[in-house]
Amino acid sequence: MSSELAKLSITQAAAKLQAGEITSVDLVRACVEEAKAKNPELNAYLEIFEDVEAQAKEADTRRAKGETGALLGIPLAIKDNILIKGKHASAASKMLEPYVAIYDSTAIAKLKKEGAVFVGRTNMDEFALGGSTENSAFGVTKNPHDASRVAGGTSGGSAAAVAADMALGALGSDTGGSVRNPASFCGVVGFKPTYGAVSRFGLIAAVSSFDQIGPITKTVADAELLFNVIKGKDPLDSTSTEFPRSDLSSGSSRSDLGNSSRSASRRIGVPRSLLVQGVEADVLEKFEASLEKLKAEGYEVVDIEIPSISLALATYYITNFAEVSSNLSRFDGVRYGLSLKGETLADDYAKSRAEGFGPETRRRILLGTYVLSAGYYDAYYGKAGLARKKLTDEFVKAFTDIELIATPTMPTPAFKVGEKEDPLSMYAADLFTVTANLTGNPAISLPMGNVSRPSTSLGTTGNSELPVGIQFTAAHGDEAALFRVGKTLLGEAN
Amino acid sequence: MISKEDIQKLAELSRIKLTDPEMESLQKDISNILDYVGQVSAVEGSAEKDVPLNHNVMREDVPYAEDSQLNASREDVIAAFPRKENDFNVVRKIIQKDE
Repeated sequence: MSSELAKLSITQAAAKLQAGEITSVDLVRACVEEAKAKNPELNAYLEIFEDVEAQAKEADTRRAKGETGALLGIPLAIKDNILIKGKHASAASKMLEPYVAIYDSTAIAKLKKEGAVFVGRTNMDEFALGGSTENSAFGVTKNPHDASRVAGGTSGGSAAAVAADMALGALGSDTGGSVRNPASFCGVVGFKPTYGAVSRFGLIAAVSSFDQIGPITKTVADAELLFNVIKGKDPLDSTSTEFPRSDLSSGSSRSDLGNSSRSASRRIGVPRSLLVQGVEADVLEKFEASLEKLKAEGYEVVDIEIPSISLALATYYITNFAEVSSNLSRFDGVRYGLSLKGETLADDYAKSRAEGFGPETRRRILLGTYVLSAGYYDAYYGKAGLARKKLTDEFVKAFTDIELIATPTMPTPAFKVGEKEDPLSMYAADLFTVTANLTGNPAISLPMGNVSRPSTSLGTTGNSELPVGIQFTAAHGDEAALFRVGKTLLGEAN
Repeated sequence: MISKEDIQKLAELSRIKLTDPEMESLQKDISNILDYVGQVSAVEGSAEKDVPLNHNVMREDVPYAEDSQLNASREDVIAAFPRKENDFNVVRKIIQKDE
């Protein structure tokens, strides 16, 4: 009974809670039981909160008093860079290992109001820099489908927790694909909202102009449900915006949309030139099969060209390095976090930052310092700004004629732990995901089936079946189009 | 290839202490990465003219509301200080006497 409960989607569990068939305490116990059995190997959670059962009891009490709400009593996993007041939030870094959040992030405050239960905080690449959760200061997160492989990143812990039934849903954050990449590798749904749709207040900053909090769930309906709770303009984040078009419950339709016309409806564009190299053959086969399925459902599929997309990775990384070096300069060991003493004040900083940050983080800070230096600013950061503007213009134009852009989420299934030693080869895997962060468009990764790869897990021989994801990108604020295509593809009620 | 001195300079500007072996591997990695991202130099135009500047969005200059959770966190801020005396954060003397 118990493990069956942990397998439920949020929507299914909410119906059972509402019908009085189960309690939140039942659900939480089921998820914690799974976590106790699986987490020692997978390392998805950095911490399971001691008060998780007390939170569930509180939710059950609220329900007994007449509250309803689809998230009341639902156990969720939260990425370690999203602040929950009174809980540790380390961004998987030694720098913030001792840090306890002193306020709730806006997304968490909204979830608390709805009565969601937080099971624990999940592992990630340090400060959300990476693509495999191998950059965590607290060990890699393993893939639930094959523990010799990575769970993806940077929200690897959140995706693994959902895929392995250790939570019914999760929050991650997406800077260059950090929600979609692990969702693809773990076989779950990962959704990055339009930039500004969800408040970044209380999200530990990586790249402020890219970061968005997004749900990782078992179904599209669950992602939509979480999004509709956490979204909205927030006075504490001046880049947050109201996107009325993403509110499905208001009954908005394509006819009143701003920048995509009625004729674009149900037309999917595929940037073929991007798919010719690097995508593994069986991943491409699954991708084509998914498009065929959507054609049968009435979608039209056309080839599109987005010229600036070839520069997207370079543009993304320059911007990433620059903003990371600025954002992480606040960690100096003076007010909170790791604080080490040297001979002088400058030594204190240099020692704390050398010990506190891992190798990839240090590398990106140095690179950011380089691209922002007076002599190289124009050649790197300036040109990246231009390329980003061009790409954004091309995306806006493309969405006047199509409703969605489709690519595989990742060019490969989950790779082996330790396989990508060279930083550039790790960066290259982000080819399809970074564009949505550069342009601010919403994007979703949906499971599109499994591919076989030789298994090297201890004690097993033969093949692992590894999930792969398909990614859809929509016009700014047109989250509804993503939920529609997702439900159609996964056979959920639309 | 970027020089070792440049790496040293970047480390100083970034306030990060590096070991010698690390310096060498960073020299190689950073050179490769800069070579790759350098392809953006092909983009034509001037960043100054063609990239619209973002504008600041300011809130009203008023104190947080009585019930704002940001008001209640003073003790928590103090609790996070690495070294404290009473309610003060103990920091290193910045201006040293000439010796």
